[in-house]
Amino acid sequence: MSKKLIFFLVSVLLAGLFCTAAFAGKTVTVLGTWGGAERDAFMKMVEPFEAATGIKVEFTGTRDLPTILTTRVAAGNPPDISGIPNPGQMQEFAEVGALVDLSEFMDIGKLQDEYSQTWIDLGSYGGKLYSIFISADLKSLVWYSPKAFSSAGYQIPQTWDELMTLSDKMVAQGKTPWSIGLESGAASGWPGTDWIEDIMLRTVKPEIYDKWVNHEIPWTDSAVKRAWEIFGDIARSDKYVYGGAATALTTNFGDAPNVLFTSPPRAYMHKQATFIKSFILNYDPTLKPGEDFSFFPFPSIDPEYGTPALGAADMFAVFNNTPEAQALMRYLATAGAQEIWVVQLGKLSANRRVNPSAYPDDLTREAAQILASAQTFRFDGSDLMPAAVGSGSFWSGILDYVGGEDLDSVLKRIEETAVDAYKK
Amino acid sequence: MSEKTSRILSRGLLHTVIILIAVLWLIPTIGVLITSFRPAQDVANSGWWTVLGNMFDSARLTLRNYNMVLSRLGVGRAFLNSFIITIPATIIPLSIALLAAYALGWMKFFGHTFVFMALIALLVVPLQMTFIPVLRIFNKLGLAGSFPGIWLAHSGYGLPLAIYMLYNSISGLPKELFDSASIDGASSFHTFLYIVLPLSVPIVASLAIFQFLWVWNDLLVALIYLGGTPDVAPITVQISSLVGSYGQDWELLTAAVFISIVPSLIIFFSLQRYFVRGILAGSVKG
Repeated sequence: MSKKLIFFLVSVLLAGLFCTAAFAGKTVTVLGTWGGAERDAFMKMVEPFEAATGIKVEFTGTRDLPTILTTRVAAGNPPDISGIPNPGQMQEFAEVGALVDLSEFMDIGKLQDEYSQTWIDLGSYGGKLYSIFISADLKSLVWYSPKAFSSAGYQIPQTWDELMTLSDKMVAQGKTPWSIGLESGAASGWPGTDWIEDIMLRTVKPEIYDKWVNHEIPWTDSAVKRAWEIFGDIARSDKYVYGGAATALTTNFGDAPNVLFTSPPRAYMHKQATFIKSFILNYDPTLKPGEDFSFFPFPSIDPEYGTPALGAADMFAVFNNTPEAQALMRYLATAGAQEIWVVQLGKLSANRRVNPSAYPDDLTREAAQILASAQTFRFDGSDLMPAAVGSGSFWSGILDYVGGEDLDSVLKRIEETAVDAYKK
Repeated sequence: MSEKTSRILSRGLLHTVIILIAVLWLIPTIGVLITSFRPAQDVANSGWWTVLGNMFDSARLTLRNYNMVLSRLGVGRAFLNSFIITIPATIIPLSIALLAAYALGWMKFFGHTFVFMALIALLVVPLQMTFIPVLRIFNKLGLAGSFPGIWLAHSGYGLPLAIYMLYNSISGLPKELFDSASIDGASSFHTFLYIVLPLSVPIVASLAIFQFLWVWNDLLVALIYLGGTPDVAPITVQISSLVGSYGQDWELLTAAVFISIVPSLIIFFSLQRYFVRGILAGSVKG
């Protein structure tokens, strides 16, 4: 081995030791799921905070958030502040005492003034507030192309009957109403769970929906079964879905809306949350929100339940009660911070004080309006269920059902995993 | 048919099959390579093979993905971190493993069999099981989030296989070598330095390739023990943060993969002449 090589290797070792020692200063570490443009937006949001306080925000984004966070919490090495995948997981962390009670350093009265009770409740556990929401996605939307609709003379359906009549009309004209994409790698099937949840909210009382989420009614219950059947009437039908069930199963959720914007359109409607806007614009940056693509609320099914809003949201909690973490958390809860964040990403803010004119376009403003004015709001049910069901058998059940399996056996299988998962 | 033509025929058949398998094997990589030069909109609209027809249509090929990756990644720092992690995490376990394999193969000591059995048992422990206990110890020692911590972790994960492979090769060396060395008055350490070490170069080289690639490509271990702050994050962590939480901008990954692959290729090609020899040395006991 030459002397040069040995010198090089020793200097690498020393460099490693030196870099570690040099790392110090007032920082707050943040863990989240965001990457790419989302990560840039987050850094932009904390820029004014860093400038004002001199505290450095060190953000790590990983799509493995549940694994990394659980491991680091269990090992006693959590980040100062972390994004939490869903309220269910927040409750688990709160239960083991890993989270800091926000009332220790935040003005609860002010939070209650700025956030609706729904968000406060979802962020609380055992009467204590543990997390705040910095943004939300509205899921109860059907995306369409206004140009394609007007040139074919279609009206926006207000009720489920109108929606099905419109679908049948399209079929009769040799067109395909829906585009569905269920593929999402290891998470395949989740777009279907949004369908089931939205249909549930429109066919039963919100209390029954909560019972279903908490597994107080079984998956084989007639209310649950009806929701699946309504979903299946569309998703399992070769005439309603572009390419039939096979295409729905193999199309990535992000690519599914593309066929709405081909000429002529290969499909006319696509159910997805607000975030799909960035996928549509990625597919064709020349499309204009509001003109080339828009959405209408997923119509009501049983009139008595109206059109409730289903959503998901990004929540943060504090794991290390340092002054720096407290300062950042207070900042993240403000309308000012969230305005920067939502403008970058087209997300919706959870803070009521966010100025509607801050949203980048009318479409996002309208979604914010729907979310704010919804009579009933429910959090994405699969995110609230234990992982074995909510991100396990529910997802695979969707795939099996759309793939043609008998509904009773699918529901029976989910019920079996649920019985185990809720026992803990 | 003469013997010669039949031999040529069977050779030809063999080569056709091999080439066919190689092409099949390469197709996904070629697909990723072509995709990495395509604009995001094209990637969403059509398959990479559609480019093949008009290879030199410059409107359909772009360096944008590479530009984006290089500007977003802060590649310099990430590459440096990856080297700072990978080089010691390759050298430390291999040095220890060489000494251990020599001791297990040629020295008699109490508990020899027990140590060897423990080693075999450690080969089958999934590393995910060790995250929480090891991270707890690292917290106490102040090693979490530091380079020495991850060197230790990777050394630990790499050692069982390295010792096992080296043991197989070193214990297979002819006994006469060691006898004559001891007659000439060589100590155990001299025997190791002047006989075992030079004879083990091929297997060490192939193990070095394995360990280097494993550490270089590792994401999970780095995320757990190092975290993802830019001061310490290796290139894999930085690459994974290029993609949005719903998988947006995945086309950037195709370019990032080819950037991160370069050092691995250099290591592989500079050590590959030892590679096959090394594997054989490990598997076939003298």
